[in-house]
Amino acid sequence: MSAKPHFFLFQCQYCLAASDDQHWVENDLPKNVKLIKTPCTGRISPMFVLNAFQSGADGVLISGCMPEKCHYIKGNLGARRQLDEFARLLAYLGMQPERVRFVWMNVSERGRIQQEVVDFEAQLAALGPSEKFAAISASGNAGGRYGQY
Amino acid sequence: MANIDALRQEVSRVLSEKIVDVVLGFEAGSLPTRNQPVFIHKAKESKRLVDNGFGSNNLAALLAQRPKDEKIGVICRGCESRAIRALTVEQQLNRENLYLIGVPCRGIIDWRALERAVDGEILAVAEDGEDLLVTLKDDEKKLARAEVLHSACRNCRQPDPVGTDVLIGELPAREGLAQRSPDVAAFLGKDADARYAIFSEEAERCIRCYACREACPMCYCTECFVDHITPRWSESMVSKGGTQAWHIIRAFHQTGRCVSCGACERACPMEIKMEYITDRLNEDMQDMYGFEVGANDSDQPPFAAFSLDDRNRFKE
Ligand code: SF4
Ligand code: SF4
Ligand code: SF4
Repeated sequence: MSAKPHFFLFQCQYCLAASDDQHWVENDLPKNVKLIKTPCTGRISPMFVLNAFQSGADGVLISGCMPEKCHYIKGNLGARRQLDEFARLLAYLGMQPERVRFVWMNVSERGRIQQEVVDFEAQLAALGPSEKFAAISASGNAGGRYGQY
Repeated sequence: MANIDALRQEVSRVLSEKIVDVVLGFEAGSLPTRNQPVFIHKAKESKRLVDNGFGSNNLAALLAQRPKDEKIGVICRGCESRAIRALTVEQQLNRENLYLIGVPCRGIIDWRALERAVDGEILAVAEDGEDLLVTLKDDEKKLARAEVLHSACRNCRQPDPVGTDVLIGELPAREGLAQRSPDVAAFLGKDADARYAIFSEEAERCIRCYACREACPMCYCTECFVDHITPRWSESMVSKGGTQAWHIIRAFHQTGRCVSCGACERACPMEIKMEYITDRLNEDMQDMYGFEVGANDSDQPPFAAFSLDDRNRFKE
């Protein structure tokens, strides 16, 4: 593991109204951040989050729209209930709660995503690498679908 | 425990009066410490029914496979009646086709704990008030029922059946039922590393037999996430990743749905603890949304019902 923490950014495709921000996320994310773009936060299954940690991620950042601003009206509300509880479950089972972070955006918040990525990376760096829940063996091969990203 | 004669009589009555086509209950199993579920079709067969502490299954788990238009009577303890309510709310059962025969419950005996508590083969067990009289090959032993109660029943918050059509026998006075799982509290009392160590130790013993899923009334999916091939949601092997994923996601699917019957744990050949996870998820749902599974015939579980009122919960 390199010094920099690795993490996933799950991003709802509507939460960044500014095309500059979306362009940045799609083209200029630091190499240690992996982008998973979804149609809505409602599409993010808790299993995605678990798969991220099992494949060796140090954290998961989830970015979606504010309550009233969901393109699909209520997708973010369902997502919030489930993902919030899922993060609590992982913490109950021993993970540091700071490894999952939600960002609920107002479409007018230009430039916020860049700052959130920087902040989250700093937070994960302070925690150090995540070992719990990682399913990769020493060879980097779990024998299944998990490759090191 | 219901008066067994009164129970058999009621079952005969509903069958002969054609109120139901079939009644689901327990009969004696092949070993003295095990009952097995039985479908009673004829009034005269009702003498096969037993009612004791060895009915390990949650009978509600067997209802999903029955024909949709069958009228079926179910002998229900507290957890079975709550599971049936939850399944009705989730539109898996049609309450009108069910005739629920409530029985007072004294808790299920953990037969493995009982076998460990005595030496040698158990030939017979009789329940005598708060005691169990165990007949062994050349010995007899008396044990307190409470000592060998399954943990789910020791922690049970609601042993009395709800929403039944008839109640056989009288409900005992209940005092001091814990409202929170002591196992959850004990788990939370440990630090994060210790909690993870316990979870890993439990989950990684799993042999992926899915007996826990089959025993669970709320695991009724025709295709479970672990059986998906494309995409494969979790490793299918008995590996750290696979077993942990099964235990985390299975429990998570029970959030606000698990009726805390403990049937999953009793079915598990590896004696893996699971309820400390599901009970905690349920306690969260109670704290956050005031939701309690099986409390009434209308409330959808929290993950199926969400509203803009949640906006206050969006911190960032
Ligand atoms: S998860 Fe276990 S305790 Fe909960 S309803 Fe299913 S079988 Fe019962
Ligand atoms: S574990 Fe989940 S997907 Fe599988 S049967 Fe149970 S509820 Fe359905
Ligand atoms: S019953 Fe036990 S061993 Fe079998 S899949 Fe469930 S937890 Fe694993």
